[in-house]
Amino acid sequence: MNPRAIQRAVVRMLYDPDFVAAIHGARALPGLSEAERALLRRVDPRAFATDPFRRARAVQAIVEEFPCSAAAVGLARVEAFLATREFLACLGDGGSMGLAFATWLEDQAAGAGRIEAAMARLRRPMAESPPLVAGTLRCAVTLAPIVVPAGSLAWYEATRAWLGATPLHTLAERADQAPRAAPPRRSPVRSRDPGEEQLLIEISASGEMSLGTASEALVRLLRHAQRARTRRELEREAVIRGAAADESAGVIDDLLAQGLLVAG
Amino acid sequence: MEDFRTRVARLPVLGLGVSTEYGAGSSDGALDPAALRREHPDYAGFLEVGVEVVKGLDDAARAWAASGAPTTYHFLDINLDDPEDRDPAWLAGLRALCAELRPAWLCGDAGLWHFGRRERGHMLLLPPVLIAEAVAPMAEGIAALRAASGLEVLPENPPGTAFVGDLHLLEFFARLAEAADTGLLLDCAHLAMYQRLAGHAPHDGLDHLPWDRVVELHVAGGREREADGFRWVEDEHGPELLPDTWAIAQAALERAVNLRAVVVECERNPIAAVLPLFAKIAAALPARLADVKHVPKDSPA
Repeated sequence: MNPRAIQRAVVRMLYDPDFVAAIHGARALPGLSEAERALLRRVDPRAFATDPFRRARAVQAIVEEFPCSAAAVGLARVEAFLATREFLACLGDGGSMGLAFATWLEDQAAGAGRIEAAMARLRRPMAESPPLVAGTLRCAVTLAPIVVPAGSLAWYEATRAWLGATPLHTLAERADQAPRAAPPRRSPVRSRDPGEEQLLIEISASGEMSLGTASEALVRLLRHAQRARTRRELEREAVIRGAAADESAGVIDDLLAQGLLVAG
Repeated sequence: MEDFRTRVARLPVLGLGVSTEYGAGSSDGALDPAALRREHPDYAGFLEVGVEVVKGLDDAARAWAASGAPTTYHFLDINLDDPEDRDPAWLAGLRALCAELRPAWLCGDAGLWHFGRRERGHMLLLPPVLIAEAVAPMAEGIAALRAASGLEVLPENPPGTAFVGDLHLLEFFARLAEAADTGLLLDCAHLAMYQRLAGHAPHDGLDHLPWDRVVELHVAGGREREADGFRWVEDEHGPELLPDTWAIAQAALERAVNLRAVVVECERNPIAAVLPLFAKIAAALPARLADVKHVPKDSPA
């Protein structure tokens, strides 16, 4: 028997009543042998539901890391994440709840979600970045260049200030009040489309985040460099983004000197 | 390396002590370990500090350590059976904290402290899966942590409401202690929870345990709970011992010939509320633990 497989099943049983029922059901469950399942069946199913605050603690952790996304989608939606395949997969494969939430969020919280998802990935660089191959260049792992609907940074900053030091408390207390303006979103209708803004988010060695707007050319070039590239590929991209052909090498040198690009 | 039965002779006898964890003393009505040591030095001979490396030590723990009074280090963030959990950054943090606390040993629940990686929102505390196959990976982790820290690592039987596996909890820990050649921390309240859930009497299975490996005991009050017809004991760390816990503690005090320390876990209760509990346990201590002289160089602030 595999104790890790059993332990992971136990963890999932704490959060997922359907899985508890499946353990006691007739259908085969991938990843668990019948002997392992028999051990789990010996435990009273009610034993997995004795902690009434387990889900609330998970919601709290998510809201602390994704406060503006939570403000955009609402607490009920955040709690609904705990029943999604992304969360359950994270329990099963030993992943990160924060990254799983970032993946699940996609565009649900518009630019605020993109900003906080990028921050979540910056906090976990080891999980995101394979080692850089010699001879290639890449955007620094401390940096996230992102493109969001115009007005997202202002919305994010205003909402973050409104949420204060205890975002969960603020959201819970003010849930019944008039909703705040939704975050800006792109629209296929030109008159309603706010357009785009480009942001750079950087994490310091101590974990502090700084974010601000940057030129479209720089952000597009750094996004191109989020995959390892040869120097020639990046120089070509610099030209596409507006650099003169005879300046492109200097552009890449400057970005390397500033630490925005790193070399393998 | 010398075997445990040789190494244990060098472990200090700490007597009766009290536990804390980061921020535990800051809530209203919480126990102040330094005040307990000033007012009742025999009840606070040492401080067991519950530590998450990412949080470090709070001011009260730092002050206690600075006073030179004895400590033990209770980890709250290591899945002993997972080699990836002993990553270099965590080990560096552990060593730095040990340099400050100078603990007599490391100890802590040998269970699942967190799912996946060590992150906010991932914290749990689940007992190990009680099967033979779970012994070796955990024993390897204990030996590795002992080598990395230079300190004894005492696995503790965790609390729980769902114990999975076909071994008796004490048989699992007996096998673990032998495989890791280590001492043990027996939590009497946690064992009482297990015995009730498994339908055992308090003393069932005590003969499984290699009692000469039991170095430390935990004693704490618990609360009986019921939901949807399911009954369990909550690990409340309150001032009232359940009779099962006391029966186990008395048996352990008689049998554990290498016992070095007893911790009363009651960190969120005022001193006045827990004095009767300390008095009850102090009166039951064997002479070699009761006679420890608690004269610190300084009193913690």
